[in-house]
Amino acid sequence: MTDLVLKNIGKTYPNGYQAIPSIDLVIEEGEFIVLVGPSGCGKSTLLRMVAGLETITQGDLLIKGNRVNDKEPADRDIAMVFQNYALYPHMTVRANMEYGLKNRGVPKEERQAKVTDVANMLGLDELLDRRPGQLSGGQRQRVAMGRAMVRDPKVFLFDEPLSNLDAKLRVQMRVEIRQLQRKLATTTLYVTHDQVEAMTLADRLVVLNKGKAEQIGTPMELYDKPATTFVAEFIGSPSMNLFDAMMTEEGIVLSDKTRLPMSHAHRGSVIWGIRPEHLQQSDEANADFSLQVQAVESLGAETLIHGLLEDGSGQPKPMVIRLAGPHLPEIGSYMWLIAPAKHWHLFDAVTQQRL
Amino acid sequence: MIENRPWLKMFSHFILVFGVLIIALPVWVALVGSTQPEGSFNSGSVPLWFGDHGVQNWAHVLFAEAGSTLQIPVWHLLLNSLIMALGITIGKIAISIISAYAIVFFRFPFRGAIFWVIFMTLMLPVEVRIVPTYQVIANLNMLNSYSGLILPLIASATATFLFRQCFMSIPGELVEAARIDGAGPIRFFFDILLPMSRTNIAAMFVIMFIYGWNQYLWPLIITTDDTYYTLVMSIKSMLSVPDGDIQWNYVMVTTLLAMLPPVAVVVGMQKLFVKGLVDAEK
Repeated sequence: MTDLVLKNIGKTYPNGYQAIPSIDLVIEEGEFIVLVGPSGCGKSTLLRMVAGLETITQGDLLIKGNRVNDKEPADRDIAMVFQNYALYPHMTVRANMEYGLKNRGVPKEERQAKVTDVANMLGLDELLDRRPGQLSGGQRQRVAMGRAMVRDPKVFLFDEPLSNLDAKLRVQMRVEIRQLQRKLATTTLYVTHDQVEAMTLADRLVVLNKGKAEQIGTPMELYDKPATTFVAEFIGSPSMNLFDAMMTEEGIVLSDKTRLPMSHAHRGSVIWGIRPEHLQQSDEANADFSLQVQAVESLGAETLIHGLLEDGSGQPKPMVIRLAGPHLPEIGSYMWLIAPAKHWHLFDAVTQQRL
Repeated sequence: MIENRPWLKMFSHFILVFGVLIIALPVWVALVGSTQPEGSFNSGSVPLWFGDHGVQNWAHVLFAEAGSTLQIPVWHLLLNSLIMALGITIGKIAISIISAYAIVFFRFPFRGAIFWVIFMTLMLPVEVRIVPTYQVIANLNMLNSYSGLILPLIASATATFLFRQCFMSIPGELVEAARIDGAGPIRFFFDILLPMSRTNIAAMFVIMFIYGWNQYLWPLIITTDDTYYTLVMSIKSMLSVPDGDIQWNYVMVTTLLAMLPPVAVVVGMQKLFVKGLVDAEK
């Protein structure tokens, strides 16, 4: 059963600025959808439109088959977790969690039972009588989630909930959010600008760019077959190496020196891409091209090598490769590389679409 | 800044002690004067130590009559002052918190213009508009009444402005969270906004109470019946007696009594007051 349907949803501000031209999205029950994109891409706006905090100027928003465009946020059966948690500072944790239920006229015993349940689940039992000011960032985050959970809504909305936490806590909470969501099986819409968060949490990802959905799919679909150069660069870290190239009868011409044999019906300018982790070291005889090493980042388990691809045009292009284990090539030396054909990505140079 | 220079320390202390003396001396004189027998000021010297009429003077002023021109005990004046000051304070806070709420959280046409009109009334204190205001109050038959004393003074641009600043510092996410939690405008006001601006209300209370308590001109003009006289304005009328035969000992008691409530309010609410003006934690 579909839970949340966005039909041709758009947002134009009164001053004429079109934040979101049109988005179609059908979300199944219990799915975890992550909206991801750079800042200013409209992901928060879209979330807030679903929440009812921003008006929808075009299209239909359906929750469990009901059109809720004109309903108040409180009547949409959604719950939201904010970036700054937005806990009521003068209320105890218990009162914070209860407040939504209280306003809906839920009787006291039922409220308390629900709060106790959720507090148990989140490990907040000890903190119920404290105020938000006496809690750490991670605890506040939990309370904010608890406040959303007690309501038992149809849809959870998360607006960059982890961006105020330190790196270690962020990883921990990320895992926890995923487990909780699996357990509760509540449809979730989650906004983030962090692609690692997006990849690890999502059942399906929506990559947004300038208010348009560039691609919608599972994390691995997006990684393996990015639909546009934008998605290709956005998903994966370090991002994909992209080069302007020409498609001819002989294959892909990166430069006068570097040709990669390939048969493809397309002719003309293309963008050729390969992920840093798919490049392999080889000997000179079998190599596709050589790279002059510029910088080495040793991370222990892997090594990132930044280099320049000499293509004879006098304008060497930067390229990153990622090798497992420690490597220590000399700066300025040359490395011979193979780019396996099954890992190539080809995009149209004009439309930026995948070929 | 931590410095350890004994001379500087002594010098600073001297300045401070000197300042305290300058401020405290008149209060001391009033306190001492309130215990003197009648006529002890007329000799030309100011007494600096307590006399033996303390209890007698205080009892007379508080419960019998304030002076030869005021045939009304001071407790009644005290009550009048208190009613007026509290009326003004509570009225000012209630009105300005509601108007600030409207201006900050609701979108309506000419919102900005309305705020600036309110703000411009800062330029129109009672003293400036006293004649027309008197006219209005007279036409409404509110001379010699508590409502006449209070109503013209309860609109406050200052308080509206202060509450506006306070409300604007409340994060938008909090307002949105309340909306999602199903709190309508009234619930939001009472459940979230009022408790959160507790310290600001306390600060406003202190400032406005002292403002209301110290009102002089307005009560002087609209009250002719001495059952509506306030304490502060009565002191003046105790000084304008025939032949310059001022009962200084009674005047001093009244002065001290007029000082007490504001001091009590400031001391009692000091903590909240400072928090309300300084604290940015929301």
